[in-house]
Amino acid sequence: MVTIATTQRRRRSGLGMAMPAILLLLAFFVVPVVMLLTRSVTDPEPGLHNYAALLGSPTYGRIFFNTFFVSGLVTLITALIAFPIAWALAIMPRLPAGILFAVILLSMWTNLLTRTYAWMVMLQQTGIINRMLQSIGLIDTPIQLTNNLIGVTIGMVYIMLPFMILPLYGVIRKIDPAILQAAALCGASRMQALVRVLLPLAAPGIASGGLMVFVMSLGYYVTPSLLGGTANMMLAEFIVQQVQSLLNWGMGGAAAFVLLVVTLALYALQLRLFEPRETR
Amino acid sequence: MTTPYLHIDGIRKVYGEVVATDHVELTIGESEFLTFLGPSGSGKSTTLYILAGFQDPTAGDIRLRGQSILRIPSHKRQIGMVFQRYTLFPHLSVGENVAFPLRVRRMGRAEIEEKVRNALALVRLSGFEDRMPSAMSGGQQQRVALARALVYDPPVLLMDEPLSALDKKLREEIQLEIRRIHQETGVTILYVTHDQDEALRLSDRIAVFNRGRIEQVGTGAELYAGPATRFVADFIGDSAFLAGRLATVSGNRASLRFPDGTVATDVPVHGGGTVDQEAELMLRPERIELTREPGPEGTTLPVTVQDITFLGNNTTVVLRTGWQQELSARLSFGHPLVGGIGRGDNLHIRWQPDVAQAFATP
Repeated sequence: MVTIATTQRRRRSGLGMAMPAILLLLAFFVVPVVMLLTRSVTDPEPGLHNYAALLGSPTYGRIFFNTFFVSGLVTLITALIAFPIAWALAIMPRLPAGILFAVILLSMWTNLLTRTYAWMVMLQQTGIINRMLQSIGLIDTPIQLTNNLIGVTIGMVYIMLPFMILPLYGVIRKIDPAILQAAALCGASRMQALVRVLLPLAAPGIASGGLMVFVMSLGYYVTPSLLGGTANMMLAEFIVQQVQSLLNWGMGGAAAFVLLVVTLALYALQLRLFEPRETR
Repeated sequence: MTTPYLHIDGIRKVYGEVVATDHVELTIGESEFLTFLGPSGSGKSTTLYILAGFQDPTAGDIRLRGQSILRIPSHKRQIGMVFQRYTLFPHLSVGENVAFPLRVRRMGRAEIEEKVRNALALVRLSGFEDRMPSAMSGGQQQRVALARALVYDPPVLLMDEPLSALDKKLREEIQLEIRRIHQETGVTILYVTHDQDEALRLSDRIAVFNRGRIEQVGTGAELYAGPATRFVADFIGDSAFLAGRLATVSGNRASLRFPDGTVATDVPVHGGGTVDQEAELMLRPERIELTREPGPEGTTLPVTVQDITFLGNNTTVVLRTGWQQELSARLSFGHPLVGGIGRGDNLHIRWQPDVAQAFATP
């Protein structure tokens, strides 16, 4: 929608050309959202009682906590893993960097269900990870890695990594290596150069990657439902349960709308904090 | 013998098969301004990067006040450097950029403030503390970079073609600034450039680099008047090289015979030489006298005027020798021949015996 808005500003005459796309978005995106929003305040009876119930009860509060906690943790861990990978991609010679890219993109393009089931197999009690940890003597008995939030976090970090690596790579690649040489001659140790120069310069990439990962995590369904089990429900699972099993469209709509508002708020925050820097 | 302030001792750097620098040997005095001059790929930047600690030499040593610095990592060498590209930290203001080296040294706030103020005053950018680098011109950015490199009083300041991205007028302006700053601070400067004018304008001494080796070290005047190799003669100042063969050789003096049979006698010859070896006679255009009559035997050549260009303070006359080699002479404004000669005129050049030199072709 943003691209349509900017296109309009640039070339008003292009509006006609954009009409099919606008109509498509209206019919299949805006209308359903509005319908869902309407149902959330009319179903089963008019009023804000769906929202009151959703935001007021500790049961639902637990779901919100799970969702935000896991999403935040996933974002943090993803950033920590993605940063060195993006840095390596930026400074590697062309060929090895290309191979690493291919590996990252290939995993991204592999079917999501397949990848999640693969994690289920690896993380189970007799799975390769538990056996490895046992064989090196780190643990005595297998630890529970599926059907809880640990499994969800591991699976989601893996799935989200490319979405963090790519924007980070884009930003880091533009940093002149001579700036880091200058920092070194100025007396900055590697750690100081990282904290005082590299991280601030990479901040827009961390922000846009982090936002993407966080927002995607908030609404993620497949991985939490397969690796998390029913006891540790997250928001997307809750919406599916409300709509599919309980046919409670009002409550499902309210939850979906809360998710949408949070997402848009985060996006607005990111625009405000980092957009001027990126265009500078 | 006293220990030299900075001693670059036999530095050699090999990348795979390529020898970037070889046997680079140089001593630099405290507060000296020494320039590495040479074409790109001559090893001057490699030498500078080894000094900065970005590269390790294959062999050799670098000693500052007698202590080897090669094992000290870049960030502990205390060396200052201004780079070819603008390397200010784009997310920090000018003041924060200059304060950066002091902050990482965990200096006190008051001390940092004072040093930053002094450093910015030195490069005449007082009051620019809060400006962002992106809001400054290239010349201003390089001055901030200079302040940042000087703020911690480095024993040596390295400058790697810092003005190459600037236009000519700005370049000359900042050259004067650099000279003034060198005089005011007394910092030892190693400067890399491929621009001979810049080298002559700035330096106490110049080391001419070619193919990874130093061809000659000396003051600008020494290099201009007494180039040790043809490369130096060609690189510093304009010169005419007249090709001939050695006719007689005695010690390091020789006479040359040109293809038209004319002989230049008793010139110093560089690069050894045996009779009949190919050699070139070097003449500086402003030392070539143009006359209607031939000069004394052995210091004169018949020439034909090819072209005359008036350039204000001098008139450049392009001449052709009997064997069709071109050279140019400069006539100062008001010279009696100016206005009196034209294309196709047959004239003579002559030179004082002490200004000509010959380089034997190896």
